[in-house]
Amino acid sequence: MTRVCMIAGTTTPFDYGPTGFESIEEQAVMCMRDIMNDVPDFHLKDIDFVVYSHFSVHFGHQLAPEWIIHDHLGLVGVPHMRIENGGNTGGSALYAAWLAVKSGHHHVMPIIGWETMDSVSQSQGSEFIALASDMRYELMVGGIYPLFYAAMANKWMQENNVTEEDVAHIAVKNRNNAMENPKTQWYRNEHKYITVDDVLESRMMAWPIKKYDCCLMTRGMAIVIICDEEYAKQVAPDSYIVVDGIGLSSCTIRAGDRINFPGWTERYGAGYPDMTEFAACRNAAEAAYKHANITNPRKEIHVMEIHDAFSTSEAQIYKALGLVDKDNVAQFIRDGCAEIGGELPINPGGGLLGYGHPVGATGLMSLTECYYQLTGQIAKKHLSGKGQVPNAEVGLINSHAGTGTSISNFILRRP
Amino acid sequence: MPAGKNIKSSESPVEKPKFTNIVDTRPEGVTETGLAITGYEISEDGTRINTKLHYDQLYTIRHGANSPLFLGFLEGKLMATQCPNCGDKFFPPRTVCWHLDCNLAATEWVELEPVGHIHTFTIAGWSGRSSLKRLPFVLAYCIIDGCKTAIANELYGIDPWDAEFDMPVKVVFKPKEERLGAITDWHFEPGDDWTPSPMNETKERMKKLTLPVYDWVKTLKE
Repeated sequence: MTRVCMIAGTTTPFDYGPTGFESIEEQAVMCMRDIMNDVPDFHLKDIDFVVYSHFSVHFGHQLAPEWIIHDHLGLVGVPHMRIENGGNTGGSALYAAWLAVKSGHHHVMPIIGWETMDSVSQSQGSEFIALASDMRYELMVGGIYPLFYAAMANKWMQENNVTEEDVAHIAVKNRNNAMENPKTQWYRNEHKYITVDDVLESRMMAWPIKKYDCCLMTRGMAIVIICDEEYAKQVAPDSYIVVDGIGLSSCTIRAGDRINFPGWTERYGAGYPDMTEFAACRNAAEAAYKHANITNPRKEIHVMEIHDAFSTSEAQIYKALGLVDKDNVAQFIRDGCAEIGGELPINPGGGLLGYGHPVGATGLMSLTECYYQLTGQIAKKHLSGKGQVPNAEVGLINSHAGTGTSISNFILRRP
Repeated sequence: MPAGKNIKSSESPVEKPKFTNIVDTRPEGVTETGLAITGYEISEDGTRINTKLHYDQLYTIRHGANSPLFLGFLEGKLMATQCPNCGDKFFPPRTVCWHLDCNLAATEWVELEPVGHIHTFTIAGWSGRSSLKRLPFVLAYCIIDGCKTAIANELYGIDPWDAEFDMPVKVVFKPKEERLGAITDWHFEPGDDWTPSPMNETKERMKKLTLPVYDWVKTLKE
């Protein structure tokens, strides 16, 4: 049975308007031209399916906006569908594309992901996104995602002896990593190297999360090409990777409903995940590791691009991925293990904190950065090769939705 | 003639409700304009244009089987549901039990005692557009009267930095004439016997981060 491969990936710059690439069809053309430049033997006529990855039609005030992109790329007649799964939209779209190729029914497909979050103010945008909470109960009492994540992190940090300074190190790491890539939102806007003190002194969004612990709202698009191995060998024999393990899991929509949820109690024992741990991430990681025959993720995986919507959630994800436990998560951060040049670089591409978070494009941005790592293209795609993890052969990407409500993990390998 | 008008309720699998008791508290003069183009902006070099679109729409959130919860709010009651098989109690309510082995057992409505404790919390220094003027406030996830779940609401009657894990809380409803059958009809306040713990390093840090929010809110327009 064929292996599912990736032969190309790219993004527009990520930004918050005015951006210079306002329309979604021009964004799609920018990305598709990039891909055709990187893989000259790839032709639009080879496409036999398209998976669209887009979260909120509220932002564009346009239902089924993928129909505009599809039409304007000239792909009329090619089957298409859109995946929507909150912040895990990109990962879920990859999951769908993987199934489509693995079934043998389709062979070559772009995944096209985007969001246009700068069409409303930041506070209105926060409220749009919070419509993905159970709005009958949480949105109307001032609840938006930074507050939900802060409430979860407040308890988690206390229980795991992780401090404000520790998570500030994560915010600094990812933002400073983003300074190597002119496409990132941090590079295009704030454009500065920051320190732990800058994070600690930034305004409080929701205790213990400050402004610089939070990712950015973004306009941007990402496109990747997923295909079977026969096609990959034909058009990109020296620059393809294999999507070798997949995992997707779910948890409750409201974090307050997962303190005693029967399914988790059966799997992992009473008291897990509480409101603190990302059970769906753990569950999806276990599935992906098993699928890809990974037994010691911290040793066998060389680079990760994960969903750092908040610096605190990156720390929580370290634990959910099985890299650390309660006793050594703080030390893992303090030792710089996740930094470029560290034991296991995480988010060398800048992550959501540095690159940006245009929801439907985000997981595909992570996928693209990890693809560049495994194919040794960082020096070509960034300002320098500083962020290239030497001889990276195995990577992990993570895509994360809601309050941890849907989470996917994928293992990527050189063929 | 509207579809279904002559169908007897005994012939239909679900009877249609008639909504006759209508309360509308919108201020005078608020109208739904629907879609309206209200302007444009052109870049300095004259090459790019953006359109301003205003969209205003009233929604009807239809509560169906969850209605006892929202009817209860109007009466100043917290209505939860409980599984008749395993006894698990849910607030907010679940229509059926969450145990797959209970085979979608229909839950039963029970009234809760309006007391509980904080499971976790945050102090909001930022929120959605509609909540900015209430900042800073504590958003607390509380477990009420032995439920298996926690529910979030705002906690008042406290300096935000005094909030702490496991502290007792009580539910306080708005006066009856102000209630609208929604989660915003009530909030949390500290339990009757609770007193703040002494200031410590963490609480000082929370206070330092919270104080500027009071000043920032004063700068908001209107």
